[in-house]
Amino acid sequence: MNRFEYLEVTTLEMAGKLAAEKGAAVRAGGVDVQDLLKEHLIEPASVVSIRNVPNLQEIKAGENISIGPRVTLAQLAADRAVASKARAIAISAGEAASPQIRNQATCAGNLLQRPRCWYFRNEELLCARKGGPECLAHDGENQYHAIFGNKNCAIVHPSNLAPALIAFDATVKTVKVGGARREISVAALFVTPETDIHKEHVLEPGEMMESIEVPAAALAGGAKSAFAVVREKQTYDWPLLCAAVKLTMDGKNIKDARIVLGAVCPVPLRRENAEKLLIGKSLDESAARVAATAAFDGATPLAQNGYKVPMGIAMLMRAILEAGGLS
Amino acid sequence: MTDSPANDEREDLQNAFSRRRFLQTLGAAAAVSAAPAIANANAKTSEAEKITIPPATPLGEVKNFGPGEVDVKLKINGIVRTLRIEPRVTLLDALRDRLDMTGAKKVCDRGGCGACTIIMNGNLMYSCMLLAVECQGAEIETIEGIAPEGEFSTVSSAFAKCDALQCGFCTPGFVMTITHHLRNEKNPTMESVKQSCRGNLCRCGTYNRIFDAALLAATGGAGLPNTTEKK
Amino acid sequence: MTKKNYDREETLKLGFAGNVVEKKVKLADDQAKPWDLDTKFQYAGKHIPRFDGLAKASGRAKYSYDMNFPGMLHARIVRANIPNGKITDIDVSGAEAIPGVKATMLLKKVGDRVRFDGEGVAAVCATNLEIAEDAMRAVVVTYEKMAHAVIVDDASKDGAPIVDKGDTNKSPESVNINPREVSEDEINKRFAAADAKVEATYRTQVQTHSALETHGGVAKWDKDSSGNPTLTVWASTQGSFSVLDGLCGNLKLDRSQVEVICEYMGGGFGAKFGADQPTLVAANLAKKAGAPVKCMLNRKEEHLAGGNRPDSIHHVRAGATDGKIVVFDVTNYGTGGYTGGAGARNIMIYDMGASRKVEYAVKTNCGPATAMRAPGHPQGSFVLEQVVDELAEKLNMDPIEFRLKNDRYPMRKAQYEKAMELIDWSRRNKKGGEGALAGTGPKKRGLGVGASTWGQNGNRDGTAMAVIINADGGVEVRNGCQDIGTGTRTIIGICAAEALGCPLENMKVRLGHTRDPYGPASGGSVTAPTVTAAAKDAGHAAKLAFLDKISKKLSVDAAKLDISLGKVFVKDDPAKSWNWHDACKLLGVETVEVTKERSDNFRANFSGQVGGVQIAEVEVDTETGVVRVIKVVAVHDAGLVIDRLTFESQILGGVIQGMSFALFENRVMDRKSGKMLNNNLESYKIPGSLDMPEIVTVAFDISNGHNSAGVAGLGEPTVIPTAGAIANAIANATGVRVRSLPMTPDKVLAALAAKGGSR
Repeated sequence: MNRFEYLEVTTLEMAGKLAAEKGAAVRAGGVDVQDLLKEHLIEPASVVSIRNVPNLQEIKAGENISIGPRVTLAQLAADRAVASKARAIAISAGEAASPQIRNQATCAGNLLQRPRCWYFRNEELLCARKGGPECLAHDGENQYHAIFGNKNCAIVHPSNLAPALIAFDATVKTVKVGGARREISVAALFVTPETDIHKEHVLEPGEMMESIEVPAAALAGGAKSAFAVVREKQTYDWPLLCAAVKLTMDGKNIKDARIVLGAVCPVPLRRENAEKLLIGKSLDESAARVAATAAFDGATPLAQNGYKVPMGIAMLMRAILEAGGLS
Repeated sequence: MTDSPANDEREDLQNAFSRRRFLQTLGAAAAVSAAPAIANANAKTSEAEKITIPPATPLGEVKNFGPGEVDVKLKINGIVRTLRIEPRVTLLDALRDRLDMTGAKKVCDRGGCGACTIIMNGNLMYSCMLLAVECQGAEIETIEGIAPEGEFSTVSSAFAKCDALQCGFCTPGFVMTITHHLRNEKNPTMESVKQSCRGNLCRCGTYNRIFDAALLAATGGAGLPNTTEKK
Repeated sequence: MTKKNYDREETLKLGFAGNVVEKKVKLADDQAKPWDLDTKFQYAGKHIPRFDGLAKASGRAKYSYDMNFPGMLHARIVRANIPNGKITDIDVSGAEAIPGVKATMLLKKVGDRVRFDGEGVAAVCATNLEIAEDAMRAVVVTYEKMAHAVIVDDASKDGAPIVDKGDTNKSPESVNINPREVSEDEINKRFAAADAKVEATYRTQVQTHSALETHGGVAKWDKDSSGNPTLTVWASTQGSFSVLDGLCGNLKLDRSQVEVICEYMGGGFGAKFGADQPTLVAANLAKKAGAPVKCMLNRKEEHLAGGNRPDSIHHVRAGATDGKIVVFDVTNYGTGGYTGGAGARNIMIYDMGASRKVEYAVKTNCGPATAMRAPGHPQGSFVLEQVVDELAEKLNMDPIEFRLKNDRYPMRKAQYEKAMELIDWSRRNKKGGEGALAGTGPKKRGLGVGASTWGQNGNRDGTAMAVIINADGGVEVRNGCQDIGTGTRTIIGICAAEALGCPLENMKVRLGHTRDPYGPASGGSVTAPTVTAAAKDAGHAAKLAFLDKISKKLSVDAAKLDISLGKVFVKDDPAKSWNWHDACKLLGVETVEVTKERSDNFRANFSGQVGGVQIAEVEVDTETGVVRVIKVVAVHDAGLVIDRLTFESQILGGVIQGMSFALFENRVMDRKSGKMLNNNLESYKIPGSLDMPEIVTVAFDISNGHNSAGVAGLGEPTVIPTAGAIANAIANATGVRVRSLPMTPDKVLAALAAKGGSR
């Protein structure tokens, strides 16, 4: 880590101001910032911590669920209301990383973390995302890389939580210096390499996440959900693939569906084509298979990651059946 | 591919490019805030300006530490210790290099192995992923604090009895994890024990005996070897 | 050394139940009878918690990495960031200008070649680690870059970049035909005529040792009473005395000036012999800076430069006729990095009829390979066990029945039987992928077997033990070797206590100080057979010396006294006895101090090999390709079991590391940049708690002779058969073979797809 000053603030606006004006790196839990600092991927003159900003670590669950940005993954995974109303969200948090990391890593940090691509994470390699001329994974070691949207950069979005939040139509509320606030759907939070290869989300410099909101509508009507993940190791490993599935059921019939894939694309990938194949159908193995197969239509695997397609279809099919209570 | 023009071009670019300067701009993109990298590279110009922060504005106060050495007060195993360190010093390095508390081990230094596991405010944490300066005010518990001098904790004793260690380098981290698990889980099972130590790696390969030790310790340590240090 | 009289003859009962042989050995007059099947043990063979278990489990054990001294400096090594090239400039002035930087040194000079990304170029030390890192980054090294090759395929192509010297990266082929009188023609004929044939290519990956304590040490200079410099180095090592020799050579010191200390060490697995670069850096910078220096590698450096197990590619032809293997013909090559050397071993277990092995190594621009737990064997075993299984399958034979027809060792036969019973081998699918065990769902189970062997190693080798008996009843055994986590300290203590007759709780063992008597480096599984025999011999010598001393005070002829179960007694009047503490009190102000050299090995033994059998049960998710190991039964012998607890732990560790090699670990190199991409413990994958199968470890007792304690080494044989057993279990579960390590989901899916889909 380079030498830096460490700042503690009591408001998000101040943290945002320091980030925007001084280029300060903001620590919520600090996991990803620590990693970036240690690899010298960032060498900021200032690091600002929001650990003393009050009221950022609460989960408020009523008809809707409001999640503070410094709520840890462990907190979210253990929250009973979240587990009962939005199971996929709780499981996605609980399946992430390790207990120690989940105690430190925050929901905001999980959404805004930088990619884990091993070309990106190596300070000695200059990939397209870091200003280099090309994606180094394209002709390199790409077994863990994207099978969708990988033309210019083949990172996969590393968040477990994002697919689950998108399945529940969640939004994030933000505040900027000067107090300007906005609400963005999580589905619109992420940026494809084609839009901007150098960043993963749309927040502006100094724009701070105030909360994550899961709307009442998404929780109503007995929404059932599942979160599935396939890893090489069963212990503390990044997903080869993950998926969040949410079904609104009317008896055996599917009234509404959300299918969001993780670890397949530079952004979390909602598959509306597959959702449409489920809506109005009676859930069974064959319907699940048809939808799961469709979800991987159009994949453009690289040399070493074609396995993600059959693996993903199997995983997603199981997740759909599990969400519908048929596994 | 190795000799392609693209490759040469990249190398030239790499040389021409001040990597440090470029990556500096990435700094703001981390964590909760979001300064996009290249697109906002110009935002960096403000770094030179001194931001003046009026006291008691709605923006609140800023507490400043460093960048040089500062006093950092850490409450470790119930005792407050003051260190003179830079803000960039991790909690792990503060413990090991400044306080000679070497029970927590440095193995991966990236939150990937659990050898540096400590308990902070009741939560299991990797001390390598924390800055010491941000742990001020917290209750930090290290393996040095789980048993009085000359004695051994039930968990440590169970590890010894079950031979739940070989080289022993991962062991303090596992002991902290199991200690934390048994404090928080009233009915520990094989499955809960396995889940609890998902964040700890052992290289010699002694996991199964760690599970046994955890379940033995959960019984309260009946039949454990003497818990007094043999001189 | 005085010439000894070896006139005494004793008959030893060796072997195991149902397989007992008698062998005669010649002994020196002062030597106790070697342990054999008739020996009644007080401690040996029980489950005894290791002596240092509590020290380690309490975090109080001080490893070399944990040594801190007032004013100690921290060192970092500047490393090449290109895989191949010549150094054109090294500028340390920027580093030296940083406040807090105390010394720098060059490890290479301008004009020198660097041959892998991560090769050490210079070193710095500073008052703390943060400043040392600043200094490391401030050293500017410029290179004339050269083309590189980091994988075997690239380095062995015509016109490949030259990795180091010469005009090719390939070593000359070595051709080894066994038995020697067989011609190449005969090999070809045998293959052509065989009933069952296998012809296939297998690959194994590069594995890094990834010991949790990284390489390095702490160096501290002092002066002796005459003002001569002395050096103490706390090293993380498997060979305290080889570090000592390395330091003496490097710093032009004699042995009296240097002490190496390694009381605890955090794993080595073969990569930590000798005075390594960080240890030498610590010693040299400490001298230059006039202060103690700690230099430990970080995790990335450990992966890049800390050693690795070479990869291997095997092209195999094998044939069997009438249930017997008649020919095994293999061409094998791999890379040990820029230093070359990549031997794989695969034909030691079974009778192969005739075999031909063509072998060569390919240099690559990667960090050098070092010995890793059973060097060459897990690679070779992965291939051999699959080939043997495939032959059995083609002959319609049970794979264990087939193995037994081609294996002459009696203990392995008994071990197969034990393992088959413990895993219920009858459940095995008669045909791969089909059967009750495989089931009809997407998750299919199967069973697979593998076997291992190792030599009866360990020798006199100058090893000696000091035993000190104090009037308070305390006994200390001292030897300069190290305990790498295998339990060396404990088995020395048990053997010494057993031979001396003192209570075990009075026994202390000091290891890892090179001013104590010489002990072996821990490689080749030699430590246990070397030190246990030495401890037994020294314990016996201490007993004689002790009895001699107290006999005068007891006014009993020493020859009439003996010690057993913590009591000194008169042999022909056992009622006349003194408990250990009372007997020791008779020493008064004296102590008994004996240093005894280890006795030689005997030619007489039950078997020249040790054996082992492992059977794995796996579950393969045929839709996702994920393999989970459900259960492993591992039966191993290694002569006399001294501490059943640490013996079982060794087996456990072998199985888990073998499983890790089978399913997870893989050094991933980027061909273009020449850099290792997974230089961490995040994407260099080592299994964790949820990956663990049930593991049943069986310590198979054999009285083996060979040395006075009858002990053999166990560390290496336990890691050999696991990957092969798992591969065979995958084949039994699915009906398809994965011939490349690690057997990750992508490869399993590809193998299934090649056979026509998952269902």
